[in-house]
Amino acid sequence: MGPALPTRQLVLLSAVGLAIFFGIWTGAAWLELAPRRFLPMPWDVIDRAFKLTETRFSGQTLQGHLVISVERYLRGFILAVLVGVPLGLLMGWYRWLDYIVTPVFDALRFVAPIAWVPFAALWFGTGIGGPTMIIFAGAFPPCLINAYRGARYVETRYIEAAQTLGASGLRVVREVLLPASLPSIIAGLRISAGAGWQSLIGAELIAANAGVGLMMVRGQAALDTSIVMVGMIAVGLIGLLIDVALRGAETWIKAKQGH
Amino acid sequence: MADIVLDGVSRVFGHGDKRFVALDKVSYTVADNEFVAVVGPSGCGKTTCMRMAAGLEFPTSGTCKVGGKIVDRPGPDRAVVFQQFALFPWKTVQQNIDFGLRSLNVPRSEAGDRIAASIKLMGLEGYEAAYPHQLSGGMQQRVAIARAYVLNPQVLLMDEPFGALDAQTRTVMQEELLRVGRINPRTVMFITHAVEEAVYLADRVIVMTRRPGRIKETIDVKPVRLAEKWDNYERIEDVMDLESFVHLRTRIWRLLREQHDPADH
Amino acid sequence: MRALTFLLLESGAGMTGADSGKTRLVVGGATIAGLIAAWYIASTTGAIPKLDFPSPEQFVAAARQVVVEPGFADGLLFDHLLHSVKIILLGFFAATAIGVPLGLWMGWSRTAEALINPIFLLIRPIPALAWIPLAIVWLGLDDAAKVMVLWFAAFVPSVINSYTGVRSIDRPIIEASRMLGIGRMAVITDVIVPGALPSIFTGLRLSLQGCLTALVAAELLGAILGLGKVLYQAGLDIYPAMILVGMVAVALTGFVLTALLDVVESRSMPWRKR
Repeated sequence: MGPALPTRQLVLLSAVGLAIFFGIWTGAAWLELAPRRFLPMPWDVIDRAFKLTETRFSGQTLQGHLVISVERYLRGFILAVLVGVPLGLLMGWYRWLDYIVTPVFDALRFVAPIAWVPFAALWFGTGIGGPTMIIFAGAFPPCLINAYRGARYVETRYIEAAQTLGASGLRVVREVLLPASLPSIIAGLRISAGAGWQSLIGAELIAANAGVGLMMVRGQAALDTSIVMVGMIAVGLIGLLIDVALRGAETWIKAKQGH
Repeated sequence: MADIVLDGVSRVFGHGDKRFVALDKVSYTVADNEFVAVVGPSGCGKTTCMRMAAGLEFPTSGTCKVGGKIVDRPGPDRAVVFQQFALFPWKTVQQNIDFGLRSLNVPRSEAGDRIAASIKLMGLEGYEAAYPHQLSGGMQQRVAIARAYVLNPQVLLMDEPFGALDAQTRTVMQEELLRVGRINPRTVMFITHAVEEAVYLADRVIVMTRRPGRIKETIDVKPVRLAEKWDNYERIEDVMDLESFVHLRTRIWRLLREQHDPADH
Repeated sequence: MRALTFLLLESGAGMTGADSGKTRLVVGGATIAGLIAAWYIASTTGAIPKLDFPSPEQFVAAARQVVVEPGFADGLLFDHLLHSVKIILLGFFAATAIGVPLGLWMGWSRTAEALINPIFLLIRPIPALAWIPLAIVWLGLDDAAKVMVLWFAAFVPSVINSYTGVRSIDRPIIEASRMLGIGRMAVITDVIVPGALPSIFTGLRLSLQGCLTALVAAELLGAILGLGKVLYQAGLDIYPAMILVGMVAVALTGFVLTALLDVVESRSMPWRKR
């Protein structure tokens, strides 16, 4: 690999890359390789996005669907964090818990989160409960795994110091394992946030009564590609925002701990 | 009474062909309020002895008692100062020192006083809110010692506490430890591989051999120190120039040199 | 007895006793056996409503129905499985055959990175499942639509990890090989690719997981055959035993495919200690 490119060249090449992408898209639409409703112009999508913020589509405006989706997402994600992180840390300390939970976890690990959809719908319906469970199924494993690994790889000297200072097991978990594995936990939260967001979209596509996923499916049913694309862009943007926020938290914690 | 008694302690690692005897029937006692330094080449098991007294490791055979009780777990009655300090990076100086006090459920007001006293003792005033990574190595080690002293433990276990420090800081810390030790005498097991440090600080020096770890000899420093009035000298380098000091140091040096296996080179 | 006290007492990291592997196996086996027993008891006493979760007998009956005869959701389990695996492999290979070289190239050449990265950054944040509606609008409910979704699911991780793989190779290794006068092509085949291989496999693993998830989702949204179709039909019929059978089939598929990838991984990197 060569040295880093000068900024000017970098910007130029990036612009060329984007131009090629949008050029092909616009060109294909202009040549009408597919009917315009299947392959809209880029500006058709932007135009549609603005219209969707004003008029309702399948019950909600764009922002209405997004609010519903994000709310569901937060519910499932926070639940996964609140259960997964403490359980992972405790498993890192109490060996019997590790021995009991790990085989069950391993058995469930290969079930794709989205495969819980039928049971989730059966048990908790398609309103709040069902989708929340799917998000939980997606977001839970990385939370648990990273907290567990973080706890297992805490430097022995910190644990020994805490023990010689008379700390109880729970105190070791709370005051040593938790802070020491924070970088690993946050890395897990980033994976978990992405997995949870993807699961939410899946759940809403398949079984939900509102939300951006439902909007996309309805757009698909109406053979309106621009609605589907607006959904994809909105979903991508929010996913990106979540990741940026967590990355910020990661940097902040690392700086605070003096890494 | 808070003495440390190792009685026929052995420690064997691995099994079968990979069996390796780290400690072979080691017995010694650190009397109440006595300062004993243990020296020996690396791999002689001196740290293992200390970790047994701390309750972080256990003998394969033999017993390790502190204050007449067999050690079965770590606890704040035996404060440990580690070579790598092992301060919690996510806690401030104040919180680090407080950690053990909270295990002992010391009332908050009393804890505050005790922390303040130990901060003063170790010359850490003004650094209460600092995080360990903001401090120099020497300052970090002061915090580690303060964290041990604040518990008012009967027994102090120190594992090469100055090993990670530069020569100058090391000297200052040695003088400091002697000063603090005079104010608050404790039963101390001090592990080191630096002979001068051992002679300067300890009442008694135990020399150990390697493979298997055994006691080679025990040297009484205290009678010499008292007879030659080492305590009248304030600085470590003045003591080190005394003939009595040089004599003891050379003797221990020889003991360590003798066990150098020529086949190693 | 020692093992028991060892288990019940809190233990620190790094305390790996010689018998911990065996204890782990015994306790783990006992836990699974206990759960199955609890499942049996809870469903026979009616503690779990049969409409929410099947009893073991129902599960076995449903498994027999779909595995042997007469099948479920228009096919035997074997047909569904074959169809799903075919699509997974198609999507996986189509994506990684492009993704891995592209990632390596972006890692190797700053120009390629500058050119492609912006486009990639547009695609990357979009979850694979969000491509499903577009794929259906464009390609219908055919296999082609599913392959398209799986392509995106597998493409992104394979690019990212191949790229990081190249970037994480120690610079001195590359420089040394250049100083030895090795040709450009040889540097790529003998230094870059092997150096990036661990990371490439991390990517392939993620790609495979992504494919499985995307396939189940896509099939749940509409399919003629496939494991997702089984789940969909079972959900529609409110047939909990068959839902469970479908989930077990999905899990086993994931397990076997991942295990196969593990074998390939250790075969292609004999120099790594496992």
